[in-house]
Amino acid sequence: MTDFKAKFILNFIEDNRWRYITEGLGTTFIVTIFAILLGTALGFLVAVIRSTADKNDKNPVVIHILDGICKVYLTVIRGTPAMIQLLIMYYIVFTSPDISKRFVAILTFGINSGAYVAEIVRSGIMSIDNGQFEAGRSLGFNYVQTMMYIIAPQAFKNILPALANEFITLLKETSICGYIALTDITHGANVIRSQTYEPMMPLLAAAFIYLAVVSLLSAGVSKLERRLRTDAR
Amino acid sequence: MQDNTVLFEIKDLCKDFGKLHVLDHINTTISKGEVVVIVGPSGSGKSTFLRSLNLLERPTGGTIYFEGRDITDPKCDINMHRQKIGMVFQHFNLFPHKTILENMTLAPIKVLKKSKTEAEAKAMELLKRVGLEEKANAYPAQLSGGQKQRIAIVRSLCMDPDVMLFDEPTSALDPEMVGEVLNVMRDLAKGGMTMAIVTHEMGFAKEVGTRVMFIDEGQIKEENTPQEFFDNPQNERLKEFLSKVL
Repeated sequence: MTDFKAKFILNFIEDNRWRYITEGLGTTFIVTIFAILLGTALGFLVAVIRSTADKNDKNPVVIHILDGICKVYLTVIRGTPAMIQLLIMYYIVFTSPDISKRFVAILTFGINSGAYVAEIVRSGIMSIDNGQFEAGRSLGFNYVQTMMYIIAPQAFKNILPALANEFITLLKETSICGYIALTDITHGANVIRSQTYEPMMPLLAAAFIYLAVVSLLSAGVSKLERRLRTDAR
Repeated sequence: MQDNTVLFEIKDLCKDFGKLHVLDHINTTISKGEVVVIVGPSGSGKSTFLRSLNLLERPTGGTIYFEGRDITDPKCDINMHRQKIGMVFQHFNLFPHKTILENMTLAPIKVLKKSKTEAEAKAMELLKRVGLEEKANAYPAQLSGGQKQRIAIVRSLCMDPDVMLFDEPTSALDPEMVGEVLNVMRDLAKGGMTMAIVTHEMGFAKEVGTRVMFIDEGQIKEENTPQEFFDNPQNERLKEFLSKVL
């Protein structure tokens, strides 16, 4: 027990090492939240373009071009590892040393997550019976209104579990931030390890924090799911 | 009840799915107050014809004039005309995430820009007419098929349409629920609503229709008053069809 206490003091109290963890947690939160926002916005946009192109047999040229761009985006982003994307973004796209690392991480993970969100949202839109769409249009709603009032709310309910899954994955994926020397939880824990030569405590602490955050997120999502479900009964 | 204002004028309407000619030069008119019943074998194009009238199916040839305007013109704002063309589907297509009242008021509020109270008052009045006012706050999943279809009909009526299109409105119903839906449609017809109905209910066609139309192979093979249509059919295919369904 005294051993445990000594190790705890060494890893977290001495030299205020706990700050690596709290600072890391802050970074992880900020990067994850803004990446989710960016990814969701991007994902919805791409999904609407893709399903518009798929739904109608005759599309204006603009839709064709946008659809082509979206397809390239999906292929490239889903076909390369997030870590490579992060390194490319930091070392090739933004070469300036003054650039905020958090910004680079948010941008990378947002663009990365957007590709996955897009396919999730598209599957949601496609899962809604075409009769819903026809009913909306026959009542005089235009395409966008039909999407907004009739298709999207139903699609959202269907994709909520998959969307939550994507956000959990994203949260854990931010653990590669250390590769551009940005201190997230993982990197913070690793710094402590390298200073104290005591791997167990900092790494287990990091693991526990991820687990706790993910558990909270899951609980929130199932609560939301339950609320949306009773609505339709 | 019938006056001679033409609502729909259909000229050389064609629809091809690839090499298949689903609609082959359809010419007809639908006037105000008419109840046109469209019958025919499955795959004959009758549903496609009906769905072309509000452009849920885009024709590949010909023109459709609705209230004097060419709605097949790409420049025409079809959303505006669809407000005046009610449509009832085989599978009801109620919005499952909305209550009955919300189903009925969504379009009047968002499309016609009516106030919520005005839209709800109108919806409640219509619900009362079909005897479903106590279901106003229920969700579609809580209703029987017949109730859903009655709601679908009054949902369209909330938009004050000039014409109502029915695409096999009773085909997905249990037999005992067909009557309640037909009753609502019968009342509508009596009230002077212009209707185009695709159905297999021959008794209803005979009783309520002002004109019956037989579509086969994408063409109108015969159209006549119900009396003549059923008692004195001319077309060979129609005779064969009637002998099977009557």
